[in-house]
Amino acid sequence: MSSITVFKARNIITMDRNRPQATHVAVREGRILAVGGVDCADQWGAVSHDDSLADTVLMPGFVEGHCHMAETVFWEWAYAGYHDRTDPDGRLWRGKTDIETVIADLRAHLATLPDDAPLIAWGFDPIFLEAERLNRSHLDAVSDTRPVVVLYSSGHLMCVNSPALAAVGYERHSNIEGVMRGSDGEPNGELQEMAAMFPVMRRMGMDTRTRSHRPDHVRAFGRICQRVGVTTATDLFALLTDETAQTLSATTAEPGYPVRVVPAVSTIHSSPEEVRAQIADLARLNHDNLRIGPVKLMTDGSIQGFSARVKWPGYVGGQPNGIWNMAPDEIFATCELMQAAGIQMHIHTNGDEASELVLDALERAARKHPWPGARHVLQHAQMMGPALFARAAEMGVCVNLFANHIWYFGDQHAALTIGEDRAARMDACRAALDAGVHMAIHSDAPVTPMSPLFTAWCAVNRQTMSGRTLGAAQCISVEEALRAITLGAAHTLKMDDEVGSIETGKRADFAVLGDDPTLVDPATLHHVPVLGTMTGGYLNLL
Amino acid sequence: MSDLPRLPLTVIGGYLGAGKTTLLNRLLAEDHGQRVMVMVNDFGAINIDADLIEKAEGDTISLTNGCVCCTMGNDLFMALGDALDRRPRPDHLVVEASGIADPAKIAMAARAEPEMAYGGIAVVVDAVNWPALADDPQIGAQMQGQAAVADMLLVSKATDGLPAGLEARLAALSPAPVVDLATVDAVAPLLLGGITPGAAQAPRRAHPGYVGWAHDGTEVLDRAALEALVAAAPEGVYRIKGKVLGPEGAHELHVVGRTVDIKPTTAARTTLVAIGLDGRVTQGDIADWWRDAVG
Ligand SMILES: [Zn+2]
Repeated sequence: MSSITVFKARNIITMDRNRPQATHVAVREGRILAVGGVDCADQWGAVSHDDSLADTVLMPGFVEGHCHMAETVFWEWAYAGYHDRTDPDGRLWRGKTDIETVIADLRAHLATLPDDAPLIAWGFDPIFLEAERLNRSHLDAVSDTRPVVVLYSSGHLMCVNSPALAAVGYERHSNIEGVMRGSDGEPNGELQEMAAMFPVMRRMGMDTRTRSHRPDHVRAFGRICQRVGVTTATDLFALLTDETAQTLSATTAEPGYPVRVVPAVSTIHSSPEEVRAQIADLARLNHDNLRIGPVKLMTDGSIQGFSARVKWPGYVGGQPNGIWNMAPDEIFATCELMQAAGIQMHIHTNGDEASELVLDALERAARKHPWPGARHVLQHAQMMGPALFARAAEMGVCVNLFANHIWYFGDQHAALTIGEDRAARMDACRAALDAGVHMAIHSDAPVTPMSPLFTAWCAVNRQTMSGRTLGAAQCISVEEALRAITLGAAHTLKMDDEVGSIETGKRADFAVLGDDPTLVDPATLHHVPVLGTMTGGYLNLL
Repeated sequence: MSDLPRLPLTVIGGYLGAGKTTLLNRLLAEDHGQRVMVMVNDFGAINIDADLIEKAEGDTISLTNGCVCCTMGNDLFMALGDALDRRPRPDHLVVEASGIADPAKIAMAARAEPEMAYGGIAVVVDAVNWPALADDPQIGAQMQGQAAVADMLLVSKATDGLPAGLEARLAALSPAPVVDLATVDAVAPLLLGGITPGAAQAPRRAHPGYVGWAHDGTEVLDRAALEALVAAAPEGVYRIKGKVLGPEGAHELHVVGRTVDIKPTTAARTTLVAIGLDGRVTQGDIADWWRDAVG
């Protein structure tokens, strides 16, 4: 008979209405055997008591329904963003609020690199820096002998120094779209879009395609999750090869690996038929910590990039409507094929036109191939309102709203992209819940840092970077937000039978917290300390 | 810089079902003598004839997939890097863009990458369906955008010559030559250039249906003069490539449609080839242009 361990905690927030709170949880074989008081498992036989968590508050392990393992690749490089950010090993990288700090920090970082290695930095966001644009002379001040590359957080731009420009032969005669020039006619170091960036990336070893599934990166991803209390996380646009799927499977199976990974295979990398066959094949690699199964579709672009497909009246600056990444015909065809094959879809839709069209496609697919348990998920769905949520609820379609956007981009959305009215009702958690939609909220890491308690804080407070409350009518309660980052997200991954709440029979997956999120001031929800996680009974404290 | 010859990249754009795959199959079946690598980025159309791959023995043909979709989607570009790293390096890379993609975003990589040469953007326009697609409220702007960036517009499914309305519409979007695929008996000259630059070739008709011109001389031009000269080329010329001696090193020149790609190279002589469509330009027109231009 396997041993039973009864963990004592200051409080256990179960998300199970039968027993919303408890002081003890019993674990056997990596699962929750019983929840309640000190004697909760006594009827199951001999127990051992573990009081090492007695000062902590336990919650169900958080579920991040939309993030990308690629974040770990960025951490091979230096962080150059505006906001503070913590790397997988817990080192805090201070945010850089002016160009002088960017230069000084990069210069310091250069000293830590091997002699001939290029310096690569990521996460730079020019929007927040008021001064002149970053250019090559700034980066020549970091080094004028070794290539320096600074990737912007949008992913569409980079700035490089003179040695990097020389390495790709960009000079005053290079008439290349995306190679920007200064008033002197020379390339000023700014490179826009992949075509201009790729020659640099190719030479500087920045091919990130399948790197995030290598063992050291998979382990780093585990540490990222563990720091923020996440025990189940997606990799929502995975390019899996046979080889990388094997390493992903082997590494996530290592004893104590702290997170259950749900890769959603990209449908854009091969034909829907091939995707279907690939998933059927790769599913043999699945185990408790690896759940290959769903797919990801990309339909439109982003709102802040003006590439989301939005309905009338469009963008406030009069920008043309965004672009489709899949033709509407392809969206309809792919939805039908996946529905027929019984494959769950996570579908990226930012603008309301994209969300509406995808609902049309899902409705048509559902008429042809009824599948009541499909649980397809609209990802981001940032501009959906009550009418679209009502349709989603009718069809059993879930939404995963991008709550972090309110803080990071809310001011810009009100001023520059979709305007005040629609910004105030974007990422409309209240409307989604009121319509009865199964809802999760997410970070889209590395786009914004993974931290479900921060994401919950965003949904509760809807505060922007400037400090205003953007659309108070869409705020939700702490209880609702905590549900969204646990059971709500678990539902979107079809794992609500296993994780998302602390109740008998489920996996022993916990977020170990230093304070009680239900008791702190809701305005400080994001400051609740995360001490680590337990995953399948393995304790991984920081 | 690599010692290998630059890898020319041609991008084929056009909506799903427009005939991009048919065009590729046609290209692979032709006797053009080049090792062509094909990358297919349109999952709607991966049914490249297996027979053709068999038949085109010696050619490096492989099908890979990439994506140009979002901030995470740099895969296609990195796949271009794979093609460059391949040994032996292919003679030409042809990328079939996805039906909705902006082919210019891919093709621009050939101008940016020092080891690549610009091979042009060919957009396949389906004579039957394109007008409606171009007016579609969802994708019309993207369809028109594809036509606007094309170096050549290749019309498929025209049964009785180019429909006049279509030609006028395309002309309003783009000055690129419009070619009825039904009337050309080879597509390799359109897509690849079809003549190996530098090879000692007498001026000749490159292929029935095409006008070819080749030049071998010792003219020395600086970059500005070369750019001006190319800008004045006769309208019916849609491809010029070769090497031109310069005062500070030679230039490698690739002109497709209106797009000019000039990169540094080494050369002992000025060697150029040009191709145009029969009936739109004559060999004499091209020869006159060169003679007048270089004086
Ligand atoms: Zn994402």
